[in-house]
Amino acid sequence: MIERMEVARAAVEAAMSASASASANAGGRARADYADARVNRQQQEELSVRNGKVGQAQADEHFGLGVRVRHGGCFGFAAAPLESGEELATAELLAERAVDAARHLSLAVVEPAILAGSEGHRGEYATPVEIDPFAVPLSERAAFLREAEATMEGREETVVREASCSLRREEQWQASSEGAAIHQVLVRTGAGLSSTAAANGQVETRSYPASFGGNYKSAGWEHVLSMDLAGHGERVRDEAVELCSAEPCPPGERTLILGASQLMLQIHESVGHPNELDRVFGHEVDLAGSSFATTDKLGSFRYGSDLVNLVADSTLPGGLDTRGFDDECVPSGSWHVVRDGVFSGYHTSREWAGRIGEERSRGTARAQGWYDPPIIRITNLSLMPGSWSFDDLLADTEDGAVFADTVKMWSIDQRRLNFQFTCEVGREVRGGKLGRLLRSPTYQGTTPAFWASCDAICDEDHWDLWGVPNCGKGNPMQVAEMSHGAAPARFRGVTFVDAGL
Amino acid sequence: MELLGRRETLELARRVLAASEADETEVTLASHSDRFVRFAGSGPTQSADRGRYHLAVRALFEDSGGRKEARATCDGVDPAVWRATLERATELARCAPADPELPPLGGAVEVEDRYPDDLTLAHTFEEKADWVRKALDACARSLLVPAGLAQTSGAACCLVNSAGREVFGARSRAAFSLTAGAPGFEGGSGYAEQIRERVGDLDPEGVIARAVGKALDNREPAPIEPGKYTVVLEPSAVSSLLLFASYHGWGAQEVHERSSFLCGRSGERLFPESLGITDDALHPLYAGGYAFDAEGTPRRPISLVERGVVGTPVTDRRWAAKLGVPNTGHALPQPSSHGPMAFNTVVAPGSESLDELIGGVERGLLVTQFHYTNMIDPKELTLTGMTRNGTFLIEDGRLRGAARNLRFTESLVGAFGRISGVGRDLDVAGALFDGEALCPALRIEDFQFTSSTEF
Repeated sequence: MIERMEVARAAVEAAMSASASASANAGGRARADYADARVNRQQQEELSVRNGKVGQAQADEHFGLGVRVRHGGCFGFAAAPLESGEELATAELLAERAVDAARHLSLAVVEPAILAGSEGHRGEYATPVEIDPFAVPLSERAAFLREAEATMEGREETVVREASCSLRREEQWQASSEGAAIHQVLVRTGAGLSSTAAANGQVETRSYPASFGGNYKSAGWEHVLSMDLAGHGERVRDEAVELCSAEPCPPGERTLILGASQLMLQIHESVGHPNELDRVFGHEVDLAGSSFATTDKLGSFRYGSDLVNLVADSTLPGGLDTRGFDDECVPSGSWHVVRDGVFSGYHTSREWAGRIGEERSRGTARAQGWYDPPIIRITNLSLMPGSWSFDDLLADTEDGAVFADTVKMWSIDQRRLNFQFTCEVGREVRGGKLGRLLRSPTYQGTTPAFWASCDAICDEDHWDLWGVPNCGKGNPMQVAEMSHGAAPARFRGVTFVDAGL
Repeated sequence: MELLGRRETLELARRVLAASEADETEVTLASHSDRFVRFAGSGPTQSADRGRYHLAVRALFEDSGGRKEARATCDGVDPAVWRATLERATELARCAPADPELPPLGGAVEVEDRYPDDLTLAHTFEEKADWVRKALDACARSLLVPAGLAQTSGAACCLVNSAGREVFGARSRAAFSLTAGAPGFEGGSGYAEQIRERVGDLDPEGVIARAVGKALDNREPAPIEPGKYTVVLEPSAVSSLLLFASYHGWGAQEVHERSSFLCGRSGERLFPESLGITDDALHPLYAGGYAFDAEGTPRRPISLVERGVVGTPVTDRRWAAKLGVPNTGHALPQPSSHGPMAFNTVVAPGSESLDELIGGVERGLLVTQFHYTNMIDPKELTLTGMTRNGTFLIEDGRLRGAARNLRFTESLVGAFGRISGVGRDLDVAGALFDGEALCPALRIEDFQFTSSTEF
């Protein structure tokens, strides 16, 4: 088999050659522009045990080549699966198709695409892994999940018990006309459990350690073992049952303490997405929306209270988007998105960095795989820890405040201002401690006002990374992964909604 | 990439099936081709000319405790690749827990072949560039900024199994959408979309005119208080509500697990007599439906709501066997944590034009689209979301100007129970999440908006 890096290089050369030919045929001078290519192989195994039976048992493999070219100020992209013995022919064919697309579409260009910097890096990156998750026998993984799922048996109100794990391995060989040659191996694992109860006319779910499949990290099987799923099954089961007879969280204005597995969603939706520069310039308006965080606000806009520091970091150990380089060959890095409450930086790609006067991209252009062109994606984005212990924070909080955690429902407007989120569980704060359960706490707010109301953040002992394995963006939609670090934090004067539950 | 033809697709799938050592095997093989261009004020911003295969092998073994099953997929048809996929499915199935309720694979069925539209498959970037230029020109003339998508795609798919089932279908799909707004999208915006099976049935100029017209009407939206309003929801807004009944409502698994609004209500009149909903993947206005589900069961129109009375849930092979009811052909790829789903809902048209629906409103709102609708509670399908791309105040049966966007928090079951008018014109519309629905505009009384915006 031909070395995969050779295939990527051949695709880049063919694209440059096709671009030059197309230019010459159109009467221009033979001009090569820019091209990059990614050979990408993804393996994914999903296993779940649901009510004692197989919920999901699926192994997927994706292997193909994506070629991107800039010709006439316009990007063209072509992609196809790679078959043994046909690699170089496929590379040539895709290069021609990408140039052909760009050539025709360039007739409609108003402003040519310009790439910031030159990123001809050569490098290797591999996720540090203690236990290769794909080397753990299937029988062992199935037994592990069966044991965890069985700990949620024993209550007749329980209608669904589910334990699941997900293993992902992505290997990529990428090359560019600027001389880049990069090989990366990214390994991600995730696991979790959930129990749904139906009683008293209600249906309620509790999850551990987070909803939608648990928590994910860039790590090996050791991450799955570290979560002690079986040790939390009974509590999760019982809380789901108790929630069915709990009072709904009452509407009104009060203090909210957000648990970290909910706060990660708050970061994702109200800071991460509005911070994507392509959204700011209206290029995602057709589906995902735009952003209130316009460029005139950069460096001066009060995004939150002085305590609020949000740092983007694609080098963060364990982060789902921790890597050596993005899909435009830009090295990973870290920067403040909000510093001491002030809006201070964007997620950018090479196409967009120049629009705000930055010489280089922040390296956040990613594609779902070989089939998709890269777009700006949120990287690991974290609320930096404060100084409070959780017990001290509770003790400092007035009676009637609400502690809420674990994502149940989320919705936010197209400019990322008006949000409404519902958590799986709430608890009333009384006497400086967590009190009675409250069902479906639903809070609503406006992004800058909400972050401005943050007056306490727990310390690094309570801080952890929470993975988002299924972030959708683009049109056609692509899925990407990232993590958000968070510790519980307190917000004052938050509006709780009567959701009619 | 060229789509595989019927003979090629079936021959390759049969080859995979013949190589299987499992007690029972199901092979699904599809080829896809896709060309799209996204565009914005700067012109085309992203494009792709791409193709892929999708091979899925479902392996089953009989065990003393029941059947064991697993699935493996890949996106290549190279012999080494499909053999590895077959091996993964087989290995995974051998290790899977046995399921005493898992029925055997279904045998031979009759399914009518469907074929894609050749003109749609052949549609070029040059032709798409022409649509883009027209959108850019129309927006520029009105001092608006565009963002949109032009896409043509095709797929061919077969399913064969060891019980003798062989079905094949192919499809095509063409779509054009445009959002137009003031520079920076800070003011009001407008949106229109069209999805068809044949590119020749698309009317890009009509889409452009509708989106630009909406944006111009929506230039200076006025503040409006949240509260209860009579609303006229255009098809795009209706679809983003209705899709939640597809995700979590019509399926037998949710009903059995007591989390569906249908639970204990089959046969009840929950809605006005004017409301009829079917699931019909083969409706001529649906682009891209196959005539069979993910287990190869033939799809036929199924009544979900008839004259306001809700029917029985949709099923797949597992849930039909478990409940002792007919299989309605709504399987997802197996095994799955999710049960059967009805993803091709069609709301029966009424008799009123959009103007007539608006004419019946004393004071209310016309809603073009909802954004980021999501579900708070499955039992009553309580949803929340934002209005988007054109919300207009109605007074005395006439449009009185643009209103700022509002957030709704409302039960679909409750809201559909207050339908007071059903439009006569059907349109296919999607939403932020997966899926599309075929529906008319609806007029609904006392629709609950819970918060407002500054835009």
